[in-house]
Amino acid sequence: MEGYSIWVAAALAVWAYIGIVLQLGPGLWWHEALVAGAVTGMIVGDLPLGLTIGATLTLMSLGLWTYGGATIPDFQTGAIIGTAIGALGGGMSAGLAVAIPTALLMTQMDVLGRAITTFFIHAADRYAEEGNERGLAWMHFLGQIPWGLTRAIPVFLAVWLGAGPIQSLIHSLPAWFTNGMTTTGRILPALGFALLLSQLPLRKYWPFLLVGFVLFAYLKMPVIGIAVVAVAVGFIVNMLQPRGQSNV
Amino acid sequence: MSEPVENRPVETGGQGPVELDRATVGNAMWRHLITLQWSWNYERMQALGYCYSMLPVINKVYRSRDERIAAIKRHLVFYNTNPQVGSPPIFGATVALEAQKQGQVVDSLKVALMGPLAGIGDTIQAILYRPIIAVFAASMALAGSMGGPLLMFLSGLLWTALMIPLFWLGYREGVGLASQVAEGGLVTRITDLATMMGMVVIGGFVPSIMAKVQTPLEFARRVTVQGKVTEQVVKIQSVLDQIVPYLIPVLLVAFAYWLLRGLKLSPVWVMVVLFVVGFGLSAIGVL
Repeated sequence: MEGYSIWVAAALAVWAYIGIVLQLGPGLWWHEALVAGAVTGMIVGDLPLGLTIGATLTLMSLGLWTYGGATIPDFQTGAIIGTAIGALGGGMSAGLAVAIPTALLMTQMDVLGRAITTFFIHAADRYAEEGNERGLAWMHFLGQIPWGLTRAIPVFLAVWLGAGPIQSLIHSLPAWFTNGMTTTGRILPALGFALLLSQLPLRKYWPFLLVGFVLFAYLKMPVIGIAVVAVAVGFIVNMLQPRGQSNV
Repeated sequence: MSEPVENRPVETGGQGPVELDRATVGNAMWRHLITLQWSWNYERMQALGYCYSMLPVINKVYRSRDERIAAIKRHLVFYNTNPQVGSPPIFGATVALEAQKQGQVVDSLKVALMGPLAGIGDTIQAILYRPIIAVFAASMALAGSMGGPLLMFLSGLLWTALMIPLFWLGYREGVGLASQVAEGGLVTRITDLATMMGMVVIGGFVPSIMAKVQTPLEFARRVTVQGKVTEQVVKIQSVLDQIVPYLIPVLLVAFAYWLLRGLKLSPVWVMVVLFVVGFGLSAIGVL
């Protein structure tokens, strides 16, 4: 049974902690599955796997957003644990099979982290009453700990203790499973696109989708070219709109 | 955005506004930029981060300990908005107003602006900026390029850097910011423009990202060529491509959209359905 040393597990736990806290502020996108997966891939020595798993999870998450502090699947932790376990030999199907349930289960940890942090604002209230600004500042700094540890601890345990057993469990994946996972991985971006479209004014603006589709599907235009056309189309339509109705 | 705007004099009621030095304002700006959400919690969300960021200003403006405590407590009330686009102009405006000892105006400005700016910021970030970058980056990564995650990281950095000019915009505008947001004409126009651009790009992304979703099905038919009967293998995918290219990806996205909007399934259930579809269709050899 092959697994990871405690040091790899610790390194990935630190990476998970940094990723989520720097997402809170200043808002670096290190928690994005693509970045989380790629860096994990480098740490465990399988960059291509990290890129594939990160990219697949990222495409599933299009249109997902923490509106008003809502909890969404934790694809950061999913990408880290999934890449680490897949790199032991199972590859993309094993990695995704671990990453997606992990991302869903981790929503519980997100709720826990957001709830525990409430303790610090109550402590800050007491420091404010005393006029103790240092105390208040410390409560603010320490507020990151529940956030970071609710990611770091699961990553540490899953990679250190879990990776070996899970890997031997899925060591000889049957062909139907590998094929099914590969196909599912390819069609999962449909969820991301559907989530995104469900938030756009489709009824009003659907012809714009057709323009992009026709450019790619029939005219074989690269997507960079489509983006340039999109800018032109946007501005042309904007010029054609009557000006009187807005205050600009 | 960059031309200097005069700081509007506001009635101070004889309390004496304070001239803030650049270092104090800068200190507050960086605290807000880096740590705003570090202590985010369910009860008051970004409140403690806002209060911590305002401390340098409070200490410059208020001389007595009681005044300082009162100001700190004012900033410990519920606050939540979009951190990158929404909060910097609000914070900038309230820094300027605190210096003029306009505590009540500060409180009502925060409440009045956090909702609308959360709406604008979340819309632009969640349905336009992030998805478009994410699809570009993911397709680079799927092609094995490290450029994908790099693009993602740099785009996040750029988005954070935007907080600096937005802060100074708010700082210069002060109360004027509220009326500008309330008018809303420009904001609607920008959101509209971005939505149209986004939809053109998404229309191209669906087939390009899901190009590998093809059916391996084929059927044999007997054809008579020059009097001889031979078997000819016809690939269903190439027949489909002649009618509507990328039909399967489009149908899958439409199906997922229908599950979300028509059947009102949650994203997790849609994912479960897609797993069933993926495993089922691959088992019977359709995909």
